[in-house]
Amino acid sequence: MADVLSVGVNLEAFAQAISAIQALRSSVSRVFDCLKDGMRNKETLEGREKAFIAHFQDNLHSVNRDLNELERLSNLVGKPSENHPLHNSGLLSLDPVQDKTPLYSQLLQAYKWSNKLQYHAGLASGLLNQQSLKRSANQMGVSAKRRPKAQPTTLVLPPQYVDDVISRIDRMFPEMSIHLSRPNGTSAMLLVTLGKVLKVIVVMRSLFIDRTIVKGYNENVYAEDGKLDIWSKSNYQVFQKVTDHATTALLHYQLPQMPDVVVRSFMMSPVWMRTMNSPFLGPVRGRGDLPWKMWSVPRDSRGCLAMEKRRLQAQQTGIKSQLSHFLLQG
Amino acid sequence: MGVTCVSQMPVAEGKSVQQTVELLTRKLEMLGAEKQGTFCVDCETYHTAASTLGSQGQPGKLMYVMHNSEFPLSCFALFEGGPCLVADANFDVLMVKLKGFFQSAKASKIETRGTRYQYCDFLVKLGTVTMGPSARGISVEVEYGPCVVASDCWSLLLEFLQSFLGSHTPGAPAVFGSRHDVVYGPADTMVQYMELFNKIRKQQQVPVAGMR
Repeated sequence: MADVLSVGVNLEAFAQAISAIQALRSSVSRVFDCLKDGMRNKETLEGREKAFIAHFQDNLHSVNRDLNELERLSNLVGKPSENHPLHNSGLLSLDPVQDKTPLYSQLLQAYKWSNKLQYHAGLASGLLNQQSLKRSANQMGVSAKRRPKAQPTTLVLPPQYVDDVISRIDRMFPEMSIHLSRPNGTSAMLLVTLGKVLKVIVVMRSLFIDRTIVKGYNENVYAEDGKLDIWSKSNYQVFQKVTDHATTALLHYQLPQMPDVVVRSFMMSPVWMRTMNSPFLGPVRGRGDLPWKMWSVPRDSRGCLAMEKRRLQAQQTGIKSQLSHFLLQG
Repeated sequence: MGVTCVSQMPVAEGKSVQQTVELLTRKLEMLGAEKQGTFCVDCETYHTAASTLGSQGQPGKLMYVMHNSEFPLSCFALFEGGPCLVADANFDVLMVKLKGFFQSAKASKIETRGTRYQYCDFLVKLGTVTMGPSARGISVEVEYGPCVVASDCWSLLLEFLQSFLGSHTPGAPAVFGSRHDVVYGPADTMVQYMELFNKIRKQQQVPVAGMR
């Protein structure tokens, strides 16, 4: 290993350069010490100044001298070989104890990973920029400085107002009952029970809907401490799917100037779904204009489409094997 | 629990009970259902003791005491067409004490055992119904978890049943029709099992009578 190193690097000069660096550092620190101590006591003011300046100059000279020395040595040290793509870290691969410490292979792996990560992050940011979520009104075309000013008007609403809006919605739909609670501070949490079909947990921030979870009518919506369980998802695939759709809908449709309209139409959608058609029956028809069409239970989630697909696949593989059989015989 | 439909699958022609169950199992696995352990439902028949009948002269009613491995801590006591009582598992001990009023019918124990399968939100239980040492039939139970009202999801259950039972798909169970918009409970499942067991018992008696 020493042979390899000596080709590119002069070891003796290297040691000298290190000591030169140490000397430089100590002389620099002496300069600062001198500045810190200030003028020493002498009989006259003039004498004091003179002694200080002389001392300061001496120190600066020594810094200069050490720096020159270091520069001279650094030329002697020579440049590390640059033919290796990973520069100095490439030398790790020459380490004979590589089998014991797989540092070099790990390093390469990490390098690959970070490259890949950068690439994917670039792709993702490109995609996300295309479909920005319109959570606030003035996201586009307005400078970032102005944005925070517009938000507080709709974000900071008195709890009384939120209660009013919710109770008005509650009275609008006889099939749906809304239970409002504030277990964690001023943010309201709603437990919406729809007929005997499903329960929806809605986490609000003022009048913005932050999070929503749809669960089955017979599922437990309370955590062990008696509060609403806003984290765990439904055990059933249908309601997991509905939760996904509801979340997509509430992220996509926002009117920051009129948050109550958003809340009302969000609450309307399940009721509408319920009255139009039984939730576990076939696809809901005639919903083209409504933005909430994602609410309906997709056939796929009930497993029927998947079943159909599997059957088709089985048929196809059957046909394929028959064909190959036929060809082989032919 | 969700809405459950219990039905009987007739044994395929020229095949044994075991072979038919295997056929169904293969169909389910082809669909992509996942195996999830076993299940067991058993039923014991009691009839009212002669001493208590006496004066009114009315025929004694049969009472069925059932257990379901899905509800391991419960015991179900049912009258045919009558009420269903859901009690703790130690109800059995109480029945021993009530020997004077209800007597266990001899060799009446009937049970179904088999495998439990999960397919998306559906729970399928294929069981072999046995009475004493002999296998008498096949029970198919399908549960759809997310729904609690039978009328809401009967057509969906039917569609699913058709996918692997084919032409042997049953009609809507009686418990579905009698009540509209009522939450489905474990007792409704047990009533269906009781009806299934009674049907299988009667089926067995007919050929025996014919042979005599």
